[in-house]
Amino acid sequence: MTLIILWLLQDLLTVFTGGGMQIPGLFMLGLVYRLLVDDGSSDVSLWAIWLSFAGGILWDLRWIGIPGFFTLGYVVVILIVIQVWGIIPPQGRVSGTGTIIFALLEASQLIPPLLPVLILGGNTGWSYFLRQQVYSLPAILLTMYIYLRKTRS
Amino acid sequence: MENRHSTTRELVHGLTALILSLFLLGVSSGLGVIKNIVDIWGAVLFIPEYPAVVMREMFLKWRSWSNDTNFLNSEVTRLSNENAELRLELAELAGGKIYSYDKKQETRTARVTLRAPMSWWSEIRIDRGGNDNITQGLPIFSSGYLIGRVSTVSVMSSWAELITSSSFMIPAVIEETRELGVIAGDGNGSVLLHYIPSGRGIRSGMKVSTAMIGEQLPPGLPIGKISGEFTAGNDGYTTYRIEPGANLSRFYTVTY
Repeated sequence: MTLIILWLLQDLLTVFTGGGMQIPGLFMLGLVYRLLVDDGSSDVSLWAIWLSFAGGILWDLRWIGIPGFFTLGYVVVILIVIQVWGIIPPQGRVSGTGTIIFALLEASQLIPPLLPVLILGGNTGWSYFLRQQVYSLPAILLTMYIYLRKTRS
Repeated sequence: MENRHSTTRELVHGLTALILSLFLLGVSSGLGVIKNIVDIWGAVLFIPEYPAVVMREMFLKWRSWSNDTNFLNSEVTRLSNENAELRLELAELAGGKIYSYDKKQETRTARVTLRAPMSWWSEIRIDRGGNDNITQGLPIFSSGYLIGRVSTVSVMSSWAELITSSSFMIPAVIEETRELGVIAGDGNGSVLLHYIPSGRGIRSGMKVSTAMIGEQLPPGLPIGKISGEFTAGNDGYTTYRIEPGANLSRFYTVTY
């Protein structure tokens, strides 16, 4: 439910800004956060894969018009997070993982919008991509703060 | 063993999702049905997106109003400054003394100390002189109307020539028609306005004041009004009789 709200919030903010400002990928931040909080159970991972797939298709249908761009990016991000997070033993996930957490959250904001830019190209696309990275940084740091606060409490 | 099994499951599901995504990416651009799906999904999202659309419109309206207000404020400021500059320019063109005499400068009073019978209509002496900042050429008034100007200044007193003096000649203008002429006294209590072109519709009651072209007196000082035609010469010019605004037979003080 939270992820549906995040997807809608991302959509509403994009509508509100009218494309003038790149909105952070709140849906993917929420999904990655959920995976990180989870202790690595297989069900959650499968659920995350197909949810990212569905979320990506819906985003493509709403804003790109061609399904596949964000769908591919979302799925790739989730697979990376699952693999990287699976390598780290559960004992090491609580402390000393700030950089990895940041890298995984950053990947959720870096990869999905990068694919359309790489495939479609153009200076405008790169400009939008770079702006989104800047705008998404506060959201990444906030998510990271929430995660660290939750795991260390 | 179970962990490996679950990892394999994740990998299988992940790769399936990945292949499906690539398949969609490769195929969907050529499918016409995708457009319909996009339209349907857009229509479905129209309802939850509606508040964002309304808020965006409100924001754009507010921004437009804010920009318009800023623009209008800057325009008002610019026009106010321009207006002030034009007023200043106008005042300078008008001699720069209109306002100082009528509005800003403090009016001072002087007492008439001598009005000799032999020069009854020509000059008076007042009890203010150089010590009181009286200067030669300074206009003097009675009841707010011009009655003469200072001709000689002493330390404690001054002499002023009256507008009824035959040697008092100043340019004047009929305010209603802007016709220019010359005001001159006849030495016998009358004030005349000379050199007004004939047939210009000058009527009794029209106001006369000092003209801008005079160098000694500032323009706009009220003198009186036209009381009637005096003579109409063959040269195409008419002389009018002026009724001074001040009572020149009865004044004991003057202002300057």
